[in-house]
Amino acid sequence: MFSPLDQFETISLFSLAAPILGNFNIALTNLGFYCFLVFVIIFGFHVISNNNLALVPSHYSIALESFFASIANMVRSQIGENKEIYLPFVYSLFLFILVSNLVSNVPYNFAVTSSAIVCLGLSVTIFLSVTILALTKHGIKFFSFFVPSGCPLALVPLLVLIELISYFARSVSLGLRLFANIVAGHTLLAILSSFLIKLFSTSILVFFVTLIPFALFTAIIGLEIAVSFIQAFVFSLLVCSYIKDAEYLH
Amino acid sequence: MPQLMPFYFVNQISFTFLVLLSLIFVLSKYILPYFVYLFVTRFYITVLN
Repeated sequence: MFSPLDQFETISLFSLAAPILGNFNIALTNLGFYCFLVFVIIFGFHVISNNNLALVPSHYSIALESFFASIANMVRSQIGENKEIYLPFVYSLFLFILVSNLVSNVPYNFAVTSSAIVCLGLSVTIFLSVTILALTKHGIKFFSFFVPSGCPLALVPLLVLIELISYFARSVSLGLRLFANIVAGHTLLAILSSFLIKLFSTSILVFFVTLIPFALFTAIIGLEIAVSFIQAFVFSLLVCSYIKDAEYLH
Repeated sequence: MPQLMPFYFVNQISFTFLVLLSLIFVLSKYILPYFVYLFVTRFYITVLN
């Protein structure tokens, strides 16, 4: 029975089990394999675009330099002019999410970001690190973040509760947004393509009529590619915004 | 087996973090500094002109 959710299943490609070492087992799953593939693509793209460090750019290096400049601009405008120490992290995160989203748009490929545990693990880790960063930078003053400036004293207990909930919700919302978008998009494509293949293989007349919904389907693929870019951008933009909150506290 | 689920999660998250951390290391140590050198060199050439 065909299920559109089959594509998100993590399967073990090969595994190593060692019963002597306390049932130690390590497995290379399709998710692990695609993670390495994403790494190779990003690294390879940078190697191709390095242009032998020439001052005059090539076609590839123009693309990469403008890409780098736009991420650097985002970090500068969001976090601050002198906070470029966060740039490699945001740049790597953006590229990792973008390339894993784009790779998953190729048919029969696995989407790394469709794994809830990957997205939530990333967002919870970022949330914890940003909180630790804020606590080490501001100490006890960090808790003033939960009291909006200029609010009446009577409202403080209620507002602190609301701010606290919204602060903790960040940890889940960041990952859930990415995961839900990718899973929803890929499931929709799988369902629509299963309808289309049935229609295409019915008869000659239906085949030509089906070209109309197929055009719509192609547009949805374009939308999915746009979603890949938008979600990677939104994720890194929100990470920048959280780092800014940790750096400056409002 | 449902009781093995956390181990699958540990496997997935370990691979993701391993790749992401190596990506951050490689980019920040070897690739991104050259962008800065390149931009600074171009800036100086423009200023000297």
